[in-house]
Amino acid sequence: MRSIFKTSAAALAAATMLSGAAYADGHGVSGPLRIFSDMSNPAPRAVMEGMVARFTEANPGVEVELVITDREAWKTQIRNVLQSGTADIVNWYAGNRMGPYVEAGLFMEVSELWETGGLTETLASTLGAMTMDDGIWGVPYTYYQWGVYYREDIFAELGLEAPATWEQELANCEVIVASGRACYTIGTQFLWTAGGWFDYLNMRTNGYDFHMSLTAGEVEWTDPRVRATFDNWATLVNMGGFIADHQSYSWQEALPFMVNGEAAAYLMGNFAVAPLREAGLTDDQLGFYQFPQIDPAIEPGEDAPTDTFHIAANAENVEAAEAFLLFVASAENQTLINNGDNLGQLPVNAGSAVDDDEFLNAGFEMLSNNAGGGIAQFFDRDAPAEMAQVAMQGFQQFMVDPSTLDQVLEILEGARQRIY
Amino acid sequence: MFPRPIQHYPRASQIGYQVMVPIVLLLWLIPLLAVMWFSIKPGEDFTQGNYWNWPENGFSGVQNYWMVFAESDMPRYLWNSVVITVPTMIGAVALSCMTGFALGVYRFKGNLLIFFMFVAGNFVPFQILMVPVRDLTDQMGLYDTRLGLILFHIAFQTGFCTLFMRNFIRALPRELIEAARVEGVSEYRIFWYVVLPLMRPAIAALCVLIFTFVWNDFFWAVVLTQSPESQPVTAGITSFNAQFRAMYHLMSAGSIVAAIPPVAMFFLMQKHFIAGLTLGAVK
Repeated sequence: MRSIFKTSAAALAAATMLSGAAYADGHGVSGPLRIFSDMSNPAPRAVMEGMVARFTEANPGVEVELVITDREAWKTQIRNVLQSGTADIVNWYAGNRMGPYVEAGLFMEVSELWETGGLTETLASTLGAMTMDDGIWGVPYTYYQWGVYYREDIFAELGLEAPATWEQELANCEVIVASGRACYTIGTQFLWTAGGWFDYLNMRTNGYDFHMSLTAGEVEWTDPRVRATFDNWATLVNMGGFIADHQSYSWQEALPFMVNGEAAAYLMGNFAVAPLREAGLTDDQLGFYQFPQIDPAIEPGEDAPTDTFHIAANAENVEAAEAFLLFVASAENQTLINNGDNLGQLPVNAGSAVDDDEFLNAGFEMLSNNAGGGIAQFFDRDAPAEMAQVAMQGFQQFMVDPSTLDQVLEILEGARQRIY
Repeated sequence: MFPRPIQHYPRASQIGYQVMVPIVLLLWLIPLLAVMWFSIKPGEDFTQGNYWNWPENGFSGVQNYWMVFAESDMPRYLWNSVVITVPTMIGAVALSCMTGFALGVYRFKGNLLIFFMFVAGNFVPFQILMVPVRDLTDQMGLYDTRLGLILFHIAFQTGFCTLFMRNFIRALPRELIEAARVEGVSEYRIFWYVVLPLMRPAIAALCVLIFTFVWNDFFWAVVLTQSPESQPVTAGITSFNAQFRAMYHLMSAGSIVAAIPPVAMFFLMQKHFIAGLTLGAVK
């Protein structure tokens, strides 16, 4: 929490500190460079401004014109900006969200830059998420892991180990429920938390590629493979695995259940760690494990929403734009902007260092080495906005009453046919 | 007509009334009391689910308010609010004094039509204007500036102010103006020396009303501005939120701070405020 307010100072200090370090790729680029960013929250804004300051320091010939737009508003403005040719570089997201702009030819392909800049090795974890139609379309600057955060002390008290397989998971859950607790806390009032559960269950049951086809609208929701995912989900729901009345809580309001020991774990993004620590849980009480395997033949896919930079297809200063992308992707820069004083997330560059933090280390390790299936962007980024809305409502309804599955799937399939 | 005074009701009704008033008052104030309560609680209470009980590790009101004042952009947002609200108040009231005078005193063709156009603006739901106004400010290069907000607020508030002023001037004794004319006083001087002094109560009332309207505006602040350089406090409060988390305690403290100027204005100018609400209601 303090980091929000410390950020500007930290970014400033960082800018001065690193100003000496020359970036190998800034070989004499010059001219105006227009960057349109959506990093409008206070901490990301300071990071963006710091990056521009350090980039201009290393490349004095470049005059950066930075426009920061509100993050939500940007979602509707990006197309205009790209079409009107007012930007050289824009912020966006990895995965299917790139689709409309790749298809419309508004993003510049940067496959060669990845090749020559060695990014194919350093950014390997998101190579799949940045690839579309056999091209690579931008560079990532940050992501964060999802996974299961659990109460180590409760697990120890019940004699449980973090599960690696679905059988262990269900066995654990039975013990936890018998002890009068829920296995998982969740707050589905704003729907997206249920999307996380679906992502993981579907990626573990059917694999990353199937999940991507499903969110891209290529598979029917009434497909038996989708049903298999929901069956696994129903097993957990029916055994009392989730807290009651979860549809009336936000994700934050679901935290107290875990803090007070009424639930043993939480499937969530890494941003849940900060409030859990503030509430008094120590790192001895709090643990992290990767979502357990369901089908051993399937490589694990992971949710790690990735934020990116892209070059506009009609950019005027391509050289400077490429230099900026390389600067953004560099290990030093990613280490700095993702540390606890700045974004507090994970660097994508495998050569970056992570703050000495149990959970960041676990996440960095998991995403860099143990996400062979691929990196998904989270349900509401992978599926079109309209489909995501309908689907996540369906997930919530299903979690409240699993017997409505048929009705839910009908609605989702109807929506799929209408939307795609 | 007016309700009968409570003293004239039977004893039972009086007791019922006296019991109900505090209860209803409390119910009415619960949201406000909750904000005040949250503003002095530490952040971890919200993660522990301890919303209403005494905080375990003591109150953190001092830290919260210190954070709001000293370690956030709050002072800047407050200053933006002042810079937006005061010129708007002066601009809208000054313009409407003149339009009100013109429409209230002179008989000319189209007088009523022009007056209706001012009034009609009040009947347009302002959400409809969101997209065109945003585009307009953008094209004028005023998007995300305080000037953009000021100009829009003046334009939008002048409609209501004109209605108010015109009706007030209509109610002034016409003989005063005629007498001045007979004496050969020029029209400008009539406005300045005869009508304006008589309008003082209306001006005071309008100033108070417009100040509160504009200070409390959230909608346009969000639509037309987005950076700490130009956002007023109502929109700036959300900057206490990180990307994923709502900081209930800081937002509550910030809201209290943001509410102080209009509340102070109300108590200091209570007389005018109530006058403003009823002026012109009884003709």
